Amino acid sequence: MAKHHPNLDFLTAHAAGSLPLAQAACVAAHLNYCRDCQRLVDGLQEVGAALFEQGVAEPVNERLLDTVLARLDEEPPLHFENVRPAPKAPPPILQRLMRGDFADLVWKKVTRTLSISYLRTGDPSHEFALYHIRAGGRIPLHAHRGDEITLVLQGGFSDADGDYHAGDFLFRQAGEESHAPTALQSEDCICLGVLDAPLRFTSWAHRWMNPFLHLRPG
Amino acid sequence: MSPEGKHGQDKPGAEGRDDEWSECLVAIANSGDRAAFTRLFRHFAPLIRGFALAGSRLSANLADELVQEVMIKVWQKSAAYDPARAAASTWIYTIARNSRTDLFRRLQKFDTPLAAEDVAPDSGSEEPFEQVQQRRNGQRVRELLATLPVDQAQILAKVYMEGKSHAEAAAELDLPLGTVKSRVRLALQKLQLQMAS
Ligand SMILES: [Zn+2]
Ligand SMILES: [Zn+2]
Repeated sequence: MAKHHPNLDFLTAHAAGSLPLAQAACVAAHLNYCRDCQRLVDGLQEVGAALFEQGVAEPVNERLLDTVLARLDEEPPLHFENVRPAPKAPPPILQRLMRGDFADLVWKKVTRTLSISYLRTGDPSHEFALYHIRAGGRIPLHAHRGDEITLVLQGGFSDADGDYHAGDFLFRQAGEESHAPTALQSEDCICLGVLDAPLRFTSWAHRWMNPFLHLRPG
Repeated sequence: MSPEGKHGQDKPGAEGRDDEWSECLVAIANSGDRAAFTRLFRHFAPLIRGFALAGSRLSANLADELVQEVMIKVWQKSAAYDPARAAASTWIYTIARNSRTDLFRRLQKFDTPLAAEDVAPDSGSEEPFEQVQQRRNGQRVRELLATLPVDQAQILAKVYMEGKSHAEAAAELDLPLGTVKSRVRLALQKLQLQMAS
């Protein structure tokens, strides 16, 4: 059971459909791990439905009904059914984006213990990437130039604030203090990171990389 | 304009009306009932158009396009509608919301492998107990909505009907972001929607 959740602002925006695509995909992935948040999102959706029902009814031209009736026999577009995933499988939304399993992805080595794989969501202002940290390895100490969402998918990591496990959702805002997430000793950690500005490494050993850290949205 | 009412006659009130719309959806799914679809269209198409035009981000033409798209999806997906899991209006709302999000993204020339529906599928539990709970929540939200102070109701309308982010709502209402966030939270608290501790 996840212990760290998206805050109410995220869940409300998700239910209203206004969250940026990459962030929404990350919240959706959390919901796969968390009945509590799913239930709350269902409730938040009822608010939208109630406002919709009671909203202003704008007159619709009678011809529009005819147009729609004439189109009813069109072939529906192909739809991918979201199947219930196997217990340890990544959430369906990620499977869609990965087109396979973690092992099938192209991983880019950043340090001895950290590799990154960028996934394409089409969101023009957010980077959406998977981080693979070897057991006991760490993400270099970094500060946050923008907002950072992290969702643990496999294994776990810890930073100065605590321990995080599969399904945990963490949000750090621009300007929040530096941290160096370290994978638990017992197994490799895979997490999803959504950024709207590149990280800034703050340790001497990694500072030289900063000019090369570009955001890769899209 | 009003539906014949033969289904809802012995069940007055909002719940009875919604039962009528779920019956329409079931009839469409079971037998491709065009008369039921027409009734549904006459009731919901104006609401979808109102939803599309809220916040005036869409032109009248695009609003009509959205109405078409949503109503055709209602027809095509009707077999996926489960009356035990959601009120008809809730189900139609999620289709309208997702279609509008997709339309906004198309207009911004997003090239994405994801549809809004992949990101926010219509959910709802399979378990009868949770379904009863969910229907009750829906009922309660509808009742309590009328009791919200104007400023809170206004913000909820911006967030849901206009699809504005908290930051956009703050800019338009000329309020600090913190005020918008706390009004939304207060409103949701009154609707008894809160994080499980
Ligand atoms: Zn949660
Ligand atoms: Zn970080």
